[in-house]
Amino acid sequence: MKPTGFIRKSMRRAASLSFAALATILSGQAHEVQAADPIKIGVTLAMSPPGSVIQGTQLRDGLSIALKMINDQGGVLGRPVELIYEDTQGIPEKARAAAEKLITKDGVVAITGEHQSSSGLAAIEVAHRYHIPYLNSNAWSDAIRSKGYPEVFNPGNYNTRVALAVAEVMADLKLKRIVAIAEKTDYGIGLAELIRDLLKERSPGTEYSYITVDRAGKDFLPVILPLRANPPDAIVQLLLPPAAYIMINQLHEQGVAPSSKTWLYEASGVADYPDFWKNVQDAAKGMLTFGLYHPEMPLLPLGKSVATAYQAGTNRPLNRLMFQGADSLFLIVEAIKAAGSTKPDAMIAALQKTEWVGTRGTVTFSNEKGFKFQQWLNVPYVTLQVTKVNQPIDEMQLVQGPGKPLDPAKLTKAK
Amino acid sequence: MLVADLVINGLIIGFLYALMAIGLSLIFGVLRIVNFAHGEFYMVGAYAYSLITLSSGISPWFALPLAFLAGSLVGLVSERLLVRPLYAGYANWGFMRDEYAVIVTFGLSLLLISLADKIIGPFSYRGPTLLPPSRIELGPFLLNGNRLLAAALGIAILAIAVGFVRYSYWGKQIQAVAQNRLGASLAGANVNVVSSLVFAISGGLAALAGALLAPFIAATPDVGLFPAVKSYVIVVLGGLGSIPGSIVASLLLGVVESLAAVYISYDYRDTFGLVVLILVLLFRPQGLFGQKGREV
Repeated sequence: MKPTGFIRKSMRRAASLSFAALATILSGQAHEVQAADPIKIGVTLAMSPPGSVIQGTQLRDGLSIALKMINDQGGVLGRPVELIYEDTQGIPEKARAAAEKLITKDGVVAITGEHQSSSGLAAIEVAHRYHIPYLNSNAWSDAIRSKGYPEVFNPGNYNTRVALAVAEVMADLKLKRIVAIAEKTDYGIGLAELIRDLLKERSPGTEYSYITVDRAGKDFLPVILPLRANPPDAIVQLLLPPAAYIMINQLHEQGVAPSSKTWLYEASGVADYPDFWKNVQDAAKGMLTFGLYHPEMPLLPLGKSVATAYQAGTNRPLNRLMFQGADSLFLIVEAIKAAGSTKPDAMIAALQKTEWVGTRGTVTFSNEKGFKFQQWLNVPYVTLQVTKVNQPIDEMQLVQGPGKPLDPAKLTKAK
Repeated sequence: MLVADLVINGLIIGFLYALMAIGLSLIFGVLRIVNFAHGEFYMVGAYAYSLITLSSGISPWFALPLAFLAGSLVGLVSERLLVRPLYAGYANWGFMRDEYAVIVTFGLSLLLISLADKIIGPFSYRGPTLLPPSRIELGPFLLNGNRLLAAALGIAILAIAVGFVRYSYWGKQIQAVAQNRLGASLAGANVNVVSSLVFAISGGLAALAGALLAPFIAATPDVGLFPAVKSYVIVVLGGLGSIPGSIVASLLLGVVESLAAVYISYDYRDTFGLVVLILVLLFRPQGLFGQKGREV
C-alpha cells in the first residue's frame, strides 16, 4: 500500500521538525562551547634583556596570582580568563609588533603588563588604532597619558608623581645644587625634565642640571669624575638596572655619593628588586629612595589576599610591581563585568567610570587632559632611607610616609 | 687635575680593554676568523667568577683561575664542535668560508646568551672585589684600589700571554700557523691542536677580563655586548691580528673615550672610538700596527 498524500505530508513535516530539533541542539552545543571559550587578554612585558627582566618577572607574578584568583571564582561572564604573554625585551619595535600580533592573531580583548615607557609608547599606538583597551601597568612616562588616547588607562605610577616626590624632598632639605643622572630613554629624560620644572616652582633658588647616559653603559666614570671634582648637594639617580647598580657602585667607589657632602636620591624604585643587594652592598648605605610599597603603607583586603598568595608561592619579599600587575588584570576583569561584554566601547566606558577598591587604594581614572588623563592620581608613595647593608625594604627608615612631609629628624647623613 | 684624573682612569680601563681584545686579535691573526661570540666568552668568565665566589664562599683569588678555565673550556668546545669543520673541508669551502665563520660564531653568541638567560636567570650577579674596598690617594688623585689592582693584573696577564706566544714551543707553533696554515702543517705542526689552543687561550683571556671586571660590571646574560663592540674596534684600529697593535689601540681608546666624554659629550662616548677608527683607517687602512698585504 502506497502512502497517501496526508501521510506523505506528515512524514515530511516530521522530518523537517527532526532536522530543526537537531539543528537547535547542535547550535545550542556550539553556543555552549563558545561560552566556555576563554576571554583572552594580552600581556606585553620584558622577559629577556635588554629590557628590565626583573620588572617583567615581578609583574608576571602579580598577573599570575590575579589570574588564578579570578578563574578560581569562575572567571568572568561565565568564561575563564586566559593570559597570552609576549616578550618585548623592552624594545619599542618589538612591543609594537607584539601588540599587533596579540590583537590581530590572538584576538585579545585588552592588553596590559607594560613596564617600560619606550615600549609602552610604541604599543599604545597599536591599541589606539584597533580601539582595544590598554591597561598600562608600570610605564611611568607622562607622554603615555598626554596622548589622550581613550583606550589607555594608567593604574600605575607616573613620572610627575616621582618628580613631585623628588622636588619635595630636595626643597625640604633646602639644597642649593642638584645633578640628576638619567638614562637616555623617554622615561629617564622625561623624569629629569619634570624634576627641573617642579624644582623651579618649589625651590626657585636651587641650581639643577641633568646628564643623560646610555642604559647599556658599563663605565660611568667620565660622568662621575667631574662630579667628584665639584660635588653637588644631591645626585638623583634615574636609571634602571643593571645600569642603576653600576652607577650606584661607581658613585660610591669614587667617594662621591652618598657622602657627608652629597645626598644620593634613587628615584627609580630599584631598592625592592630581588637582586638589589647582590649587586649593591656598601654603596647603598645612606641612600634615599622613592618607594611605592612599604609595610607601613595600608594594604586593603584584596591586597592582603594577593600578598598571602605571593608569599605562599615564592620566597621573595612583597613588592609594588606584583601589586600593580594584579591590579591591572583585576581592573580589566571588573570592566568586562561592569560592561557585561568584551566589546571595546563598553569596556572603555566601564573603565572611565571605574571606582574599584584595589590592593592599595580605591582606583579611579581622572579625565583631566595632559599627564593626568585616565591616570589613577593618588598612587601611594613613600621616601625611605637605607641605613644598613642587606636591609629589606620593610626595615628601611621611613623618612616620608604616604601623604606626609619629609621628617628630617629621621634622616642620617652618610660619613 | 680633572684631565690627569681622566687620563689615569682612561689608561686603567684601557688595560682591561686590551685584555678583552687580545683573544679576538689572536683568533683573527692565527685562524683568520672574526669570532662574534667573543663577548660571550667574557660573559662566561664574569658569571663563573661571580657565581663561584657567591655560592661557595671561596676566595676570589681562587675564582680567577677557575674563570680562566671556564672560558678556555667554552673556547675549546666551540672550536672543536663548530669551527673545526671549517678546516676539515678547507679546500672545498671556497667563498663560503667567511660566511660560515660569521654565521656559526654569531649563532654561538645567541646560544650562549639564551643559555645564560634560561639557566642562570635574568638577575645580575656582581662579583666580590679582590681586596676590601679601598681608595688610594696619590697627591690630588683618588684611585680605587680594586680598579688599580684589576688593571695591574691585566698588565701581568697580557705580558704572560705575549711571552707565551713569542717564546714558548706552542707559541712558536701558533706563529707558524698564523703565517701559513698549510706550510706549518707540512713542517710538522699539529694545526688542529694549535687551533684548539688558540680558541682556549682566547676564551680564557676574555673570561679573565670578565672576572676582573665583575666587581664593577655585574654579570648579566647580555654583558658581553660591551666588550665585544670595544674589542672589534680595538682589533681593527690596532691592525688585524697584531697583538701589540691591540694593546696600543686599547689604551688609546680608553683615554680618548674618557677625555672626549667629558670635554665633548658623554652622549657620544661610544662613537669617539669609531671616529678615531675611521680617521686612522683613512690614513693607514691596515690599522696602527697591521701589515699591508694581499691574498693570492
